[in-house]
Amino acid sequence: MKYAPLLLLVTVAVLIALPWLVSGSMLNAAVQMLIAALFAMAFGLLCGQAGMLSFGHAAYFGVGAFAAVHAMNAFGGEGLLPTPLLPLVGGATGLVSGLLAGYFSTKRTGVYFAMITLALAELLHALAPHLKTVFGGEAGVSSFRMPAWGIGFGSLNDVYFLTLVWTLLCIGLLYLFSKTPLGRLALGLRENAHRLRFLGYNTHALGTLIFAISAMFAGIAGALQSMNIEAANYVVLESHISTAVVLNSFIGGVRVFLGPAIGGAVMTFFGHVTSDLTRVWLLYQGIIFVLVMMFLPRGLVGELVERIRNPSGEGLARTLSTLLARLVSLAIAAFGAVFLIEFLQRFLSPEYRAGVTDGNWPDIALFSYDWAPLSVLPWAFGLGLFGIGIALVTMVNRRVAARKEAQA
Amino acid sequence: MDQILFALLNGTIYGLLLFMVSAGLTLIFGMMGVLNFAHASFYMLGAYFAYTLQPLTGFWLAIILAPILVMGVGILVERFILRHVHEHGHAHELLVTFGLSVVIAEMIKMVYGKFAVDYRVPAELNFAAFSLSGIDYPFYRLFMGGIAVVMFIAIYLLLTKTRVGIVVRSAIYRPQMVEALGHNVPMVFMGVFGIGAALAGLAGAVAGAFYTTNPNMALELGVMVFVVVVVGGLGSMGGAMAASLLIGITNSLAVGSDFRIADILILIGMGGWAEEIGGLLTMRMSSLAATLPFFIMLLVLVLRPSGLMGEKE
Repeated sequence: MKYAPLLLLVTVAVLIALPWLVSGSMLNAAVQMLIAALFAMAFGLLCGQAGMLSFGHAAYFGVGAFAAVHAMNAFGGEGLLPTPLLPLVGGATGLVSGLLAGYFSTKRTGVYFAMITLALAELLHALAPHLKTVFGGEAGVSSFRMPAWGIGFGSLNDVYFLTLVWTLLCIGLLYLFSKTPLGRLALGLRENAHRLRFLGYNTHALGTLIFAISAMFAGIAGALQSMNIEAANYVVLESHISTAVVLNSFIGGVRVFLGPAIGGAVMTFFGHVTSDLTRVWLLYQGIIFVLVMMFLPRGLVGELVERIRNPSGEGLARTLSTLLARLVSLAIAAFGAVFLIEFLQRFLSPEYRAGVTDGNWPDIALFSYDWAPLSVLPWAFGLGLFGIGIALVTMVNRRVAARKEAQA
Repeated sequence: MDQILFALLNGTIYGLLLFMVSAGLTLIFGMMGVLNFAHASFYMLGAYFAYTLQPLTGFWLAIILAPILVMGVGILVERFILRHVHEHGHAHELLVTFGLSVVIAEMIKMVYGKFAVDYRVPAELNFAAFSLSGIDYPFYRLFMGGIAVVMFIAIYLLLTKTRVGIVVRSAIYRPQMVEALGHNVPMVFMGVFGIGAALAGLAGAVAGAFYTTNPNMALELGVMVFVVVVVGGLGSMGGAMAASLLIGITNSLAVGSDFRIADILILIGMGGWAEEIGGLLTMRMSSLAATLPFFIMLLVLVLRPSGLMGEKE
């Protein structure tokens, strides 16, 4: 891990140079990625470090987003709250709402905690359409970014840098927080809350405080989001936002510090790239999540870090060749599965069904070929590739196991 | 008066329906320690399966076959997914079922579209059971309540009066001891998981025809079921029953009520102030009905954190 600081420096340098490296649409995606990364980090603090699984983090994200839009309208980007400082409002409202919600939800631990956070988020979501003055009803609340400090904030580049500075700052703060005594107590809360209580700590207050801090960073992420799109709608309170942050963080791995951020950024990136290729990205996201949870319980980044820290002792060449064999066979299986899902999606889509006229099933174009849906060919193709891939993975795994056995 | 009677009846039946789903959840939790986040997804699957089967087999066979199919799905989930992650702990199992609920919802959206499907009460069951002061009461509601009650009696008798029930109940408390006595405990777990899923599926197959069948129904009901188990105390059947009825009845009473918080404040001379503030204070109870269960949950958490009939942590 001695290369970690260097790697970090290079990443930051690339992030700073990004506006000159990529197109506008990609830069827009980068803003989304940064926001998702920060949101996932806030979630990771609660879930990874303190071991409290929240299914309702969209509430604090959304509250921050609305607070920032209202502050934008109230201050007009001047006076006490110039545009670059607006995320502070999001953070403050996130903190306050987190204290309130945390007081109730940390009354219980474990699965109860998870259910309560979900219920609280749904409460806010059910209430929001009725409170038109705050949440703006169907239309939501919109605003404009005003120039401040000699920066226009009109162009995408300005927004990118604003988001970048806030995201890096917050991730830095989160890192420092994890080193404070309170941050260490969060780990204690995760590992053994009973013992903490015996040692004289007030675990309810501790849980509430950590919940509030996590909600604060989620609020900042929400504020950045609403500043980016210059509006907030009660859609940001919907459950799929909470779902996405849970999936992203765990795919990255919540027990390693930057795991959630990388998970959030990577999944958002793929979501952006595949948005015009597939309509069922969420399905893939769910499947990837379940597979990661089943076979790589530490998450992608967590597994990577673990492998680097504890090499298998087989030598670099062998490890790499096993990894390559696994990746290739997985890619074959994944291609088969993706083919099947996409084919099924097109086959079942209402547009296709509308084109079917008694007994005449038109061909479906997929991967630059036309496939007849009633012939056995496309189904056999997809299933076959999937089966071959899985068989190859099993074979590689058996070989590795046999080698381990021989060594032992 | 009749209005209140109707509301009470509707609430009781909605409560029974909630119980049908939360009973399975509580049973599985009490036995395996797994909070099955995908449980409400089984409810949704039941509704969609019955909707698909109905044109082929007719309504009656559909509501019998759909729960059996859901049971199959539940057994597959337990055998090939949950058992695989068991070693990583209960939080991990919760997360996997959470992921499964996402996958199931997305698959339903892919196959049936994002909007509600046309799954209706069959014509032969669509009549009024009785009418009070000119308002007809649909027979189908009573039918749903009846199925729930029959289910309960069956489960109760199965658990308390049969040998299988004894093994299941003892596997909850001392799984290792039961295993040592020669019973196949993983098999028992799989069976309970399957039965729980089938119960949820049956509730979905029956209720989906009356309420709407759409890809959001799992989340909507799931949140209510979680509120029920937090209020009742997870792992307690009696608590789940009490909480389901409490939430069902308050919900349906609130829907028909024009009450506002400002109305109370008028009594102490603060009506004008409340009207000025607006917001929550002047909202009618009927539009707040969807949020009432959450407030009940918060109240219970403050007064009795372990739930109405739950054990102390």
